[in-house]
Amino acid sequence: MKLGVFELTDCGGCALNILFLYEKLFDLLEFYEIKEFHMASSFKEHDHLDVAIVTGTVSCQRDLEVLRHARNYSNYLIALGTCATHGSVQGAVEGKIRDKLEKVYGTRANTMKALDPKPVVEYVAVDFALPGCPYDKMEIYQLLIDLAKGVEPIKKDYPVCIECKLNEYECVLVKKGLPCLGPITVGGCNAICVKSKLGCIGCRGPLPKEANPAGEFEILRNLGYDEEYLRRKFKTFARGELRW
Amino acid sequence: MILELGEFTRVEGNGKAEVIIENGEVKEARVKIVEGPRFFELLTLGRYYWDVPDLEARICAICYLAHSFASVLGIENAFGVKVPEEIQLLRELGLIGEILESHSLHLYLLVAPDLFGYPDAIRMASKHGEIVREGLALKAFGNYIREVIGGREIHGINVKPGGFGRYPTEDELEKIDKSCDALLRFAKRAVNIFATQEVFGAVPEYHIATDGYLYGEKLIASDGERFDYFEHIEEKSLPYSFAKQSHYKESVFMTGALSRLMVKSDRLTPIAKELFEQHREKLSRGNVSLNNLAQAIELVYSLERAKEIVGKLLDHGVKGENVPIEPKEGEGIGYVEAPRGVLIHHYRIDENGNITYSNIITPTALNHALMELSLYEEARKHYGAVDENFLKHKLEETVRAFDPCISCSVHLVRL
Ligand code: SF4
Ligand code: SF4
Repeated sequence: MKLGVFELTDCGGCALNILFLYEKLFDLLEFYEIKEFHMASSFKEHDHLDVAIVTGTVSCQRDLEVLRHARNYSNYLIALGTCATHGSVQGAVEGKIRDKLEKVYGTRANTMKALDPKPVVEYVAVDFALPGCPYDKMEIYQLLIDLAKGVEPIKKDYPVCIECKLNEYECVLVKKGLPCLGPITVGGCNAICVKSKLGCIGCRGPLPKEANPAGEFEILRNLGYDEEYLRRKFKTFARGELRW
Repeated sequence: MILELGEFTRVEGNGKAEVIIENGEVKEARVKIVEGPRFFELLTLGRYYWDVPDLEARICAICYLAHSFASVLGIENAFGVKVPEEIQLLRELGLIGEILESHSLHLYLLVAPDLFGYPDAIRMASKHGEIVREGLALKAFGNYIREVIGGREIHGINVKPGGFGRYPTEDELEKIDKSCDALLRFAKRAVNIFATQEVFGAVPEYHIATDGYLYGEKLIASDGERFDYFEHIEEKSLPYSFAKQSHYKESVFMTGALSRLMVKSDRLTPIAKELFEQHREKLSRGNVSLNNLAQAIELVYSLERAKEIVGKLLDHGVKGENVPIEPKEGEGIGYVEAPRGVLIHHYRIDENGNITYSNIITPTALNHALMELSLYEEARKHYGAVDENFLKHKLEETVRAFDPCISCSVHLVRL
């Protein structure tokens, strides 16, 4: 199978995490031929792809062109990481693009054609959306193996809390009153931040369906957290998605 | 005529270059960062200090710990907080892990393919599998340290103002100790490999680094100056790039592994020091390509220094006590050596602990002017003498020697 990895505007983590598979990367190469992966290779072949992985947000015209190319040339498109699926941190900066440019660069001119950062899923149809800032590297490994073998991949649909229970971590929300977003965040990271005795900051994006952000908001407000503080915390990784 | 260098490959992030040629002569070279802006300064504005290091980490995955540490140091300095030796040592250990992870990524996966004539390390592995695997082992070890200290390989949130969420266990420290010995042989071999690389790229007028080996209170320069960044570093925006350009006392300077060796060689560990002396003459020529050799020497330094630190921690036992913090109004700067050089986080915080001002300056932005100068000089040297593809390849190699991190450089600056 032919694979391409395309990086839009981001921290590089979601592409880098693929290289962090180390020896397992060589296992993937039994099934895949890498046709494009600019962080790792100077080899590039503009060809039809079986699978295109796209990381990052669309933050300028160039990103949009790369994304359209990836979509048009591939059978399966994977939006990989919270930037691509929900907008992540750069998507959380509110305001109009020219106002932001003025504040940071001191000019309203937009010569580089910056766009208001949005996730990949807002521009094109994607076949798989795998969130995480970054995702757990075994998740992309498993997804690529499933695709190569024609197995239907399993989607995670439980909150981080479940993984705390499985690891027998003490609940930092109940026991320490920390503003932990675990109850409303999609699991899959093995509750790694709670292992550090800290509250989940929601980097895997909101859990769809059963999650109850309004309830969590209420609980934290009753613990004495400021509303504006909570509002910004809730929206850090998922551009305005958690409404209550 | 404009000679376009398409998007750089085997570098972090999205960048391009163009060389402007008039009447058959190279007039100018420009490095263009085409990655979109990310507005981190706006992201942290108004936010509570405790949450800020976790956000800043997301500036860059290759050096996320350098960002969270610089952020933590800036915040602690604003509050006038001092941490005990144990926490200082653990922080240094985390930064060493990052140097190992980042340098081995750069040297083995990004640069080595140029030396051996392959488009990437995966294809290079077919003939030189051993070298690639040695690089992966060093990288995995660096990442292990990042996981232990930082909480995760990428974007862990364990690094906090006043200390850590969780402290390493004795087992984890012992594991680090053992690996240091085992990997030293690979690192020494890296020095031999990169010592053979040909020398190219411009020579900076000054080198800039932090006053401690991996972090510090002030910056130091090769002319002996000890200073705060705003005293002597001047930044300007460019119309053709999302990054800014900096000068030191109006001259082109460098920051990074080569700069650290040039201004701080007195702090090197024994074997690293010996290797430095052995290659001193070559390194002193100062061309940017020598940054690769300097990084290889730093792999050796990192393993030796990690062992020293872990030894101390195991001797004394890790107490694991954080320094309590009372938010108050203040201003502070954090200076850290990211793998690619000096990284600066500067904050003002109000009495409630919320950020009111933030300025971040990254090594790639600091090196931007030197990168353009190097491209210009290389282009002048080769233009007309070699065919265009070869020229482009040479220029790309030059950019790669800086180990540029484009995600880092795209976001700026004074509000
Ligand atoms: S989702 Fe997070 S780790 Fe992945 S590219 Fe975006 S900022 Fe980086
Ligand atoms: S615990 Fe929360 S913040 Fe930490 S990795 Fe998991 S989802 Fe992300």
